[in-house]
Amino acid sequence: MSTQLLTGNDAIALGLVEQGCRVATAYPGTPSSEILAGIIKYKKALDKDLYAEWSVNEKVAFEVALAAAWTGLRAAVAMKQVGLNVASDPLFSAAYTGVKGGFIVIPADDPGPHSSQTEQDSRLLALTAKVPVFDPSTPAEAREMIGDAFVLSERFKIPVILRPTTRLCHAVSPSADAPASSSDGKPVSPKFQKDPAHWTATPKLRYKLHTELNQKLIEIAAEFANSKYNYIVNEDHGGEVGIIASGVAFHTARQALLELGVRVPMLKIGTPYPLPVNLIEAFSARFATVIVLEEPDACIELQIPNRQRVRGRLDGSVPNSGELTPEVMFSVLSKSLSGVGMQVNPSPEDADLSAAIKKLSLPARRPRLCPGCSHRSAFYAMKQNFGPRAIYPGDIGCYTLGTNLRAVDTFVDMGASITMANGFFQANRLVGDDRAVIATIGDSTFLHSGIPPLINAVHTGARFVLLILDNHTTAMTGFQPTPANDYLADGSEAPRKVSIPDLVRACGVEYVKVTDPYEQEDFTAILNEAQAHTQAADGGVAVIIADRPCVLYDNDPILEHPLPVVVTDECDGCRFCTEAFECPALVLRADGSRVDIDYKLCIDCGQCIDACYKGFIVPKLAEMVG
Amino acid sequence: MNSLTAHELKIVIAGIGGQGIVFLTRLLSQTAVNLGYPVVVSETHGMSQRGGSVISHLKIGGSEAPLIQRGSADVLIALDANEAMQNLDFVRRGGTVFVSSNAELHPDLLPHLERLNIRTLHFPASAIAVELGSPETANIVMAGFVCAYDGLNLPLEDLQATIKQIAGQRAEGNLKALAAGFQAGKKKIEDAQPLPENLR
Repeated sequence: MSTQLLTGNDAIALGLVEQGCRVATAYPGTPSSEILAGIIKYKKALDKDLYAEWSVNEKVAFEVALAAAWTGLRAAVAMKQVGLNVASDPLFSAAYTGVKGGFIVIPADDPGPHSSQTEQDSRLLALTAKVPVFDPSTPAEAREMIGDAFVLSERFKIPVILRPTTRLCHAVSPSADAPASSSDGKPVSPKFQKDPAHWTATPKLRYKLHTELNQKLIEIAAEFANSKYNYIVNEDHGGEVGIIASGVAFHTARQALLELGVRVPMLKIGTPYPLPVNLIEAFSARFATVIVLEEPDACIELQIPNRQRVRGRLDGSVPNSGELTPEVMFSVLSKSLSGVGMQVNPSPEDADLSAAIKKLSLPARRPRLCPGCSHRSAFYAMKQNFGPRAIYPGDIGCYTLGTNLRAVDTFVDMGASITMANGFFQANRLVGDDRAVIATIGDSTFLHSGIPPLINAVHTGARFVLLILDNHTTAMTGFQPTPANDYLADGSEAPRKVSIPDLVRACGVEYVKVTDPYEQEDFTAILNEAQAHTQAADGGVAVIIADRPCVLYDNDPILEHPLPVVVTDECDGCRFCTEAFECPALVLRADGSRVDIDYKLCIDCGQCIDACYKGFIVPKLAEMVG
Repeated sequence: MNSLTAHELKIVIAGIGGQGIVFLTRLLSQTAVNLGYPVVVSETHGMSQRGGSVISHLKIGGSEAPLIQRGSADVLIALDANEAMQNLDFVRRGGTVFVSSNAELHPDLLPHLERLNIRTLHFPASAIAVELGSPETANIVMAGFVCAYDGLNLPLEDLQATIKQIAGQRAEGNLKALAAGFQAGKKKIEDAQPLPENLR
């Protein structure tokens, strides 16, 4: 017997494929990145005719899938929560126009946050856009919800959001081998039909569509009152307190109740928007206090019309930021339940042991660029050349870790390195600040949303250096291809690939150089040349493309030319290399006396030779000869 | 659905990115599933994988909450002494810690471990993996060691079957690593508590 273990992302992917999704698009972003790879895996395994692509950004992904839904096919688009911001323009519009084939939008939220710039709640964006939401609590439930989401979308001709969170995406649990039965509601005629009243609705018609949308939501809320994803547990245990919970928080709360040694009635909500208010009110009427537990923000709580007896994130009974971890959940429930006189178990955590661990100040292992990472070489050369005074706008990707090296001074969102550099140039001019501005952005992020900013900077005469850190892949999220790669999402050959240098030139940039950051001397010379271009009378934006593949993605160049190194006996433990270069394979001895190479981590890139200005890191061969 | 059994086994697995925490977790969880237990795992992905601390939570036969509460884990498996200490407060009273290192934990922690009746077992999994000629299999050596102590109620032959099922080309090396860890673990048990002559 072999039951398959599925991650939440795989369960969502399998659900989409087995429910007849025909077009699936995505832009990678933690925690959603494995959904599209899963779709391609199950498409092959179940032999389905399905088109899947890594799109260039989330707005593009959304619209490509939307066109399929307007054609009458089932379609889906996946992204991380901040990706939905990028796709929010079509989301709001599509809520009005509606769809024909079932259309599921999957934004993965990141309470914590673990890998994101915000803790935003996609359910609240859905509420603003007026799009119904399914909120799964386990991988198996997410898989099951897909079929119902498609049917709802087709019956009401409305996009539907399925909103997982990090802990669900990266949870692993057993899943039935047999595919869930494919639901009814197959599209009537999968062929695009012109329909000006919807697909090209003018503002006057948009008002009508808005009215219709409001009516749909009233009807959907009534249906959600009977949804199987909303149910009560511990029904027979009365008392003064009831709990309403959704998503992963529902199971975390159940576990906490077991630890607390109490049983409290809980209403589990799987359809947080539009909220089936009658269901909530009927449940709440039985209790003096109702605690709402949800992540990452207050979506259910906000929609409860009468919140007199409601406790949650809005009134401070539940912390209004951060993940509801088992410890937070235990503490919230312990306080609330003992507050109404219930006997609860003490926390299982031993405070003295936790304090003793804390007191040791153990070295926290922060994320660092990998050994051999070409970004490190580029950052190091840049930082050595322009020093701590220059302003370094950065961007979103592995290279955000350049902040460890003080080579990233700002990051806002995808593509903002270029716009921030543009803005700093103008602001600095006004305040008389002459510091150099050097922006860094990765290849995938540049293609995602760097091109309009670059055009803007060129056209308005901004002057700064832009380093495009081209490691030939979307590294942070697991090596998804970009339009500059010669293959597609399913590994097949791309009909065409896009040239980043040509794109940069086409944006009107006159100084464009492609160079290998491993060649640190040449690289530094080009950095200076580029900076000179930003200062020249007829100069402007200067773009350097630091061209070197990610070592995890393609290690062949190093295998072909390995450069093993040793640290000589003269090393005095000055820490320059461990701080300015910060390679995980350079390890300071516990007594601080010297640095050693950790050969289990070292990949023989030889780049750290330049990181010891005293010359104590040398090629292995040279040391043997010397 | 949603059945909560009385005997839930909660395991925290900790290490650093690149040590094979995800695969070790997969080996243990798939074995538990093959034996018919409900399983829930929580993995670490994304930025924290870049050389940072990596931690998996594995629950066999229990609730569907993905994370384990501090103070409630039955077992902590740490592929590194530093990560063992960082995550020690996950372990419940009377729980067990398996550490892939001969380095003792910090002396300030030992009285607490004694007070809480937490047993700590050290094992040089990395050194054994290096001896086998495949340093990257220290995670599997550790699985064999834990199995020798019957730390997870997962029999050796079932772990072997799972390796054949999921390890692909690496199955042979992983089976060797598992056996080496298991044998060394058994030997450690014998050395620690010599059996009476008639039972050897």
